[in-house]
Amino acid sequence: MEGARKKIGVFLCKCGTNIAGAVDMDALTAWVEKQPDVAWVRTNELLCAPTGKEFVKNTVESETCDSVIIAACSPKMHEKNFREVAGEKGFNIAQVNMVNIREQAAWVTPDKDQALEKAQSLIAAGLERAQYNVDLDKPEMECKTDAAIIGGGVAGIEAALMLANAGRKVTIFEKDISIGGSVIKTEEVAPAMECAPCLLAPRLAEIRDHKNITVVSNAEVTDVLGFFGNFTVKATRRARFVTAACIGCEACFEVCPVWVKSAFHLGMGDRKAVYTAFPGSVPAAAVIDKENCRHFTGEECSACKDACPFGAIDYEDNDEVIEVETGAVIVAAGGGDPDVSQLFDGVAGRENNVLAMPEFERLAASNGPTGGEIVCADGSVPKSLAVVHCAGSLSETGLSYCSGICCMTALKAGELFRKKIDGGKVFNIHDRLTLAGTEQQHFFDKQCEEGTVMLKTSDLSSVNIVMKEGRLQVTASGVSESVAVDMVVLSTGMAPSPSAERLVELTAADLDEYGFFRPGHPILQTTSTTIDGVYAAGSCKSPCDVPTAITRGQAAAGDVLSRLIPGKKLELESMTAWIDGELCAGCKMCIAVCPYKAISFDAEKGISIVNEAICRGCGTCAATCPGKAAQARHFTNQQIEAELKGVLNG
Amino acid sequence: MGEFKPEIVAYVCNWCSYAGADGAGGQKLAYPSSVKLIRVMCSGRVDPQFVMEAFRGGADGVMVLGCHPGDCHYRSGNMKAQRRFRIFEMLLRQMGIEKDRFLLDWVAAGEAKRFVELATEIHERVTALGPLSLTGSVERTVMADG
Repeated sequence: MEGARKKIGVFLCKCGTNIAGAVDMDALTAWVEKQPDVAWVRTNELLCAPTGKEFVKNTVESETCDSVIIAACSPKMHEKNFREVAGEKGFNIAQVNMVNIREQAAWVTPDKDQALEKAQSLIAAGLERAQYNVDLDKPEMECKTDAAIIGGGVAGIEAALMLANAGRKVTIFEKDISIGGSVIKTEEVAPAMECAPCLLAPRLAEIRDHKNITVVSNAEVTDVLGFFGNFTVKATRRARFVTAACIGCEACFEVCPVWVKSAFHLGMGDRKAVYTAFPGSVPAAAVIDKENCRHFTGEECSACKDACPFGAIDYEDNDEVIEVETGAVIVAAGGGDPDVSQLFDGVAGRENNVLAMPEFERLAASNGPTGGEIVCADGSVPKSLAVVHCAGSLSETGLSYCSGICCMTALKAGELFRKKIDGGKVFNIHDRLTLAGTEQQHFFDKQCEEGTVMLKTSDLSSVNIVMKEGRLQVTASGVSESVAVDMVVLSTGMAPSPSAERLVELTAADLDEYGFFRPGHPILQTTSTTIDGVYAAGSCKSPCDVPTAITRGQAAAGDVLSRLIPGKKLELESMTAWIDGELCAGCKMCIAVCPYKAISFDAEKGISIVNEAICRGCGTCAATCPGKAAQARHFTNQQIEAELKGVLNG
Repeated sequence: MGEFKPEIVAYVCNWCSYAGADGAGGQKLAYPSSVKLIRVMCSGRVDPQFVMEAFRGGADGVMVLGCHPGDCHYRSGNMKAQRRFRIFEMLLRQMGIEKDRFLLDWVAAGEAKRFVELATEIHERVTALGPLSLTGSVERTVMADG
């Protein structure tokens, strides 16, 4: 330590009788007074009370010291408050520190002598450490307040609208040719049985017309660079071959000679090589499927171009790189559909009339391949339906978890079936039922009253489906007779998004053991991911129903709005790491261990550099650096070693 | 010579294990007063040098406590600590320090009882071993690196 030693002012808090009852305060005060470097000692009944804080403020103003120690409760309780109070009198936050003699001595040491001794030892540590406390800056940074949203399903749509209505510029990156996500493919949302496309259509139109929203569809995000307040998001927009002049009038559909299986209809219907996902899609423009279009497969065809009244067909269109600068990134990538092809000896498939739930939803949807007619593969109308709950869920080979939403969908299938098919019979084969919520149980009761026969199996893994004499037979242990039906729906759960892993690579966020985005904190920060400024909304966080997905989108937008405010700088962490360029040997070990990718290598200077806007101050680099070039502010080697010295000698 | 009163230093991370110890206080769960905490932001901040310094400075036992795997406030700092200290444990014996004098473990913020159990465990282990006496070679090792 160079120069004169610092003089330390010490406050001792009795905390009513909480500390004073267990530690001899007179003896403690007398001991502190005798310690070297102590400028003064003041004992108070209750420092955190308004009178106590006033006492702190007045004392640090009238008395002289370089650094202040408050021996009281845990720093987690009031350190911030005391730093503010003393800060009003000019003390830097680094010079106001608490020593925890309540939780660590008074409350856990029944022997009064030992409690006194321990309190002394902890205060000695604080006094020794204070010699090395260095003032901390309160760094601030200009920030961008706009947002990029990855995924244009219901969660992304709600987040976009909320942000855009507050004046923020929003770019939605969508991998499909239009937005709407999985919800636009369903007919009704249980238990309210509201028409999903009707709920979405006005939202889609609002997005289309909003001056603050740009939709980049048919695009793949390739880079997410930067940090909270300063992201650069890059994406490749795949060539569409149809310009924005297209209004989706469909004139080209009629003349296009090529039929292709429609992904929007999950392969159950056809579309042309020039197509839109559905009428009224956003964007409205059609797209040419280059793989199948005759013009691009070596044949002379320009039927669409000739038919287009708007001159919107552009065979020369190219992939385009789009780059936006934003303050936050909201990932709303949705969930995934589990693969059912291996279940029940491979019986699943449209040809056998064994449909996964998303396929059944398409079949029942008025914007679906049959216009909402529930029909068998041969065109006949099924008279009976079996719904198998938990198909591919709660299993070792499929999803290990309960998605929590599929029981409602499984019950909804019965309602849709009866609604569309007069006298239709419905059997639900289930084990456990998940029907939490105020309306869900009533919905279940209603289905039972209206004719759904609930058949409980004693063993989910015993459920089997076989084709017998042209009908589907469903058997399950605990269900006395086999159920013979014309159609089976497999009630599947929600898998993680197929894009999740790639998005995690791009954003440096983290997935949980099930493949969903891990929250910043499992209770306190469920809107954020583990990377500041990268949010996860909708079912990429965990399986959820439509209202929850919407709420998650709104929550993410709300968090962005409360933290990125135009004209206001972003307050950064003060206790970050830094690297002493003189000592750094350029070994890059700090780069390897940094959990936030906050350290980069300056090849020209041959040293590592900490980006303090990303650094969160964990200090792992400081512990790893073999040359002691990396250091953690307010937790430097000198500070920690001084504290150790105090603990052992006090 | 009086009864042996061990000195134990516990390096605890701010987010989980320090909070766990606070919980022990809040619930008035007593643990040996020999165990004294030094707070760091993350268990990943704990340089093995700090542990050696503690032994050299008079500690008879040292604990490093972090968040449980997967719960690290800083994503993976605790895993870095684990990697580092698993190797360090092996070196301890070569330096003449019994393995039982060192403990790396995890305590969640809600695990007050677990903190008390670990604090009691290391206290008992170290009490059974008696005071640490460092050989000259360890002194030199620590000093040379310090």
